[in-house]
Amino acid sequence: MFLHCLKYELKTSLRARDLIIWLILFPIVLGTLFKVAFGSIYEKNTLFRSIPAAVVETAENPYFRAAADAVSAGNDALFSLTYTDEQTALGLLKNKEISGILYAGDTVSLTVGGSGIQQSILKSFVEQYGISEAVIRKAAEQNPETLPAVTKALSAEITACTRVPLTDGNTDPFIQYFYNLIAMVAIFGSVTGLHIAIDYQANLSLLGARRSCASVPTAVSRTAAILGSWLTQAVCMVICVSYLAFVLKIDFGSRLPQVYLAAVLGGCMGVAMGFFIGSIGKLSQNAKVGIAMTVSMTCCFLSGLMIGNMKAILAEKVPWVNAVNPVAVISDSFYCLNLYSDYRRFTVKIITMLILTAAFTVLGIILSGRKKYASI
Amino acid sequence: MSETVVRINNLVKRYGDLVALDHFSLEIREGEIFGLLGPNGSGKTTTINCLLSLLSFDKGEIEIFGKKMSPVCYDIKREIGVIMQNVAVFDELTVWENIDYFCGLYIRDKAQRKQYVEEAVRFVGLEDFLKFRPKKLSGGLLRRLNIACGIAHKPKLIILDEPTVAVDPQSRNRILEGIQSLNRNGATVIYTSHYMEEVEQICTRIAIMDKGKKIAEGTKDELKRMIRNTETVTVEMLELPEDVRTELAALPHVYDTAFDGKTLTVSCSGGKHNLIRILGVLQNHELSFGRVYSELPTLNDVFLEITGTALRDKEE
Repeated sequence: MFLHCLKYELKTSLRARDLIIWLILFPIVLGTLFKVAFGSIYEKNTLFRSIPAAVVETAENPYFRAAADAVSAGNDALFSLTYTDEQTALGLLKNKEISGILYAGDTVSLTVGGSGIQQSILKSFVEQYGISEAVIRKAAEQNPETLPAVTKALSAEITACTRVPLTDGNTDPFIQYFYNLIAMVAIFGSVTGLHIAIDYQANLSLLGARRSCASVPTAVSRTAAILGSWLTQAVCMVICVSYLAFVLKIDFGSRLPQVYLAAVLGGCMGVAMGFFIGSIGKLSQNAKVGIAMTVSMTCCFLSGLMIGNMKAILAEKVPWVNAVNPVAVISDSFYCLNLYSDYRRFTVKIITMLILTAAFTVLGIILSGRKKYASI
Repeated sequence: MSETVVRINNLVKRYGDLVALDHFSLEIREGEIFGLLGPNGSGKTTTINCLLSLLSFDKGEIEIFGKKMSPVCYDIKREIGVIMQNVAVFDELTVWENIDYFCGLYIRDKAQRKQYVEEAVRFVGLEDFLKFRPKKLSGGLLRRLNIACGIAHKPKLIILDEPTVAVDPQSRNRILEGIQSLNRNGATVIYTSHYMEEVEQICTRIAIMDKGKKIAEGTKDELKRMIRNTETVTVEMLELPEDVRTELAALPHVYDTAFDGKTLTVSCSGGKHNLIRILGVLQNHELSFGRVYSELPTLNDVFLEITGTALRDKEE
C-alpha cells in the first residue's frame, strides 16, 4: 500500500499545474531574465579580455617582436596584436577597434586613443619593456658573460605576496542571483509540503477526511506522500540546475555534481518546511498557504534575492539569521563550492540542510499525528 | 434476528455552547437501508463523522460490527465505504485512476483491485469516461465518480451523506437505484438526507432527527402510524361559508379544517370515504370548487406533527 500511495503521489504531483508553473517554468523564465540582465554586464565590465592593439614596425626589432609574441600567445594572452602599417593602425584606433598603437623600431613608443585600464596596461608594458631592454643591452655591452643571469633575473617575478587561489570557480558577482534563484525554487517546495499536511487533515480538506476513513494508517500514506514530494521536488531541482548550467551556460565551476546534490537537498528541506508549517495549529487552509508563502519570500529576501548585499548586512549585524535561514543555507552551500577548494564549509551546509529537513519532518509528523478532530 | 452492524449509545457532541448531538442513540441491523432524515443542522453529518471516528465526542459509545470504533480500527474501516456530502477526488487523476487510488487504500491485491475497479466503473456507468479528468465531468457524473470511489472495495457497510445534493433527476434516480442494488448485494446502508421523498423511496427504516435529537424511529409505515393524520383532503375553492366549515368539522374522522381564501384543507384521522363525504357536503350547499386532492401522510407530516415545524421550512 505504501508503493500504491507513492505511485499516486508522484502522479498527482507531476500533473499539478501549480507545481509545473512555479517549480519548472518560473525558474526557467527568471533564470533567462537574469542571464539577459546580468550576463552582458559582467562580460563587458568585469571579465578580462585580451587588449587589442596594433604594432607598426618602423625598423627591425626582433627583441620587441619576441616579447610582443610572448605576451599575445595562449588562451590568457595579455594583448591581441595586429601587425600593420601606420595608416591602417590609425584608422583602427579612430574606429576604437584597438586601444593603442605600438611603434617598434630602435625604441618602442605608444599612441593611445583615450584613457582607461587597457591604455594604462599598454603604457606599463612599453615602460617595462624599455627598462628591461636597456638593462639587457647594457649587460650585453659591458659584461656579456652575465647576460644569462640578468635575463633570468628580469624574467623572475619579484613580489612579496604569494598568490594562492581558493578555487577555480566562477568569480562573477552576479552568480549570486542564480544561487538565490535555485534556493528560491528549493524553498517553493514548501507549497508542496504544505499540501501534504493539509490533504491529510480531515478538518482541512475533503480528501483528508476521505483518507482518514481508509484502512491504510495515515502514517503510511503520509510518509509515502512526503517521499513522493521529495522525489518530485528533486526532479524539479535537477531540471532547474540543468537549465541554468547547460542551456544558459551559467558557470557553476568544476563541481556540478555537488551543485545538484545541494539543490536536491535544499528542495527536500523546502518540502519539509512546508509540511511543518501546514501541520501547525488549527488555522484554515488559506491562512496556512499565506503563512508558507510569507515565510518563503521573507527567507528569499533575507538571503539577498531582492537586495544583493542583504546577506552581507545580516552577516555583520545578526549573523545567526544566515545560519538558520533555509534559503541562505542553500545559497551559501553554492558559495562554498565555488569559493573554497576544500569541502569543509560545504559539508557543514549540507549537514545543516539535513538537520533542518529532519527537524521539520519530525515536528510536522508529531503535530499532524492527531487522529480525531474537535470540529470538521 | 439480523445482527447489529452499528450501535450508537447516548452520544453527546458539543461545539462550544451548541449541542450538536444530544444523547443520541441508534441501532442499525445488517441488511438495512437506514435513513437519517432531518433538516440541515439537525446533526446528521455530525453523527456520521463521529461514527467514522473523524470527530471526537463528549460522551457516549459507538460500536461497529460489534467492536468499539476508534481511529485506529483499520479492520473495521476496511469494511466501511464512505460517500461524502461533497465530492472528494483528485483533479489531477483520471476517472479510472481516482477509483483505483481509493480502492487501493483498502485492497492490496492488484488483480483483485483491477476487477473491483472495473465493477465499480460499470456499476456507476462511467465506462465511457475512464480517461476523463474530474473537471471535464458534469455534476451528475462527478457524483457517480464520488460514489464509485467510496464503494469500489465492496464494503459491508456503506455510509452515504447526502449524495444527491445538486444532482439532476436522472442521475439522482440512478444513484438511488444503485444504492438499492448495493443493498440487494448484501451491503448495509446508512443514508442521510433532508429529501424525505428519497428516504421514503429507498429506506427500510428511518430515524428522524432534529436539534441533535432522535425524535422518531421506525419503518415509514410505523412512523406514519405515530401521528393522528391519515389523510389530507385539499379542495381549491374561492368561498367557504362558516356554517359549511362547521358542518365539515363535524364529519366523522375529521379533526381539523383550514381555509385560506383559495384552498380548503381538511385533515382526517382514520376512516374510509372521507373524500366522498367532504365533497358531498360541498355539493349539498351548491358550492363550486376546482381541483381536489386526497393525500396520504408523508414524512414531512410526521415531522410537522412531532416538532410543529415543516421539514421544508427548516431547510430555508
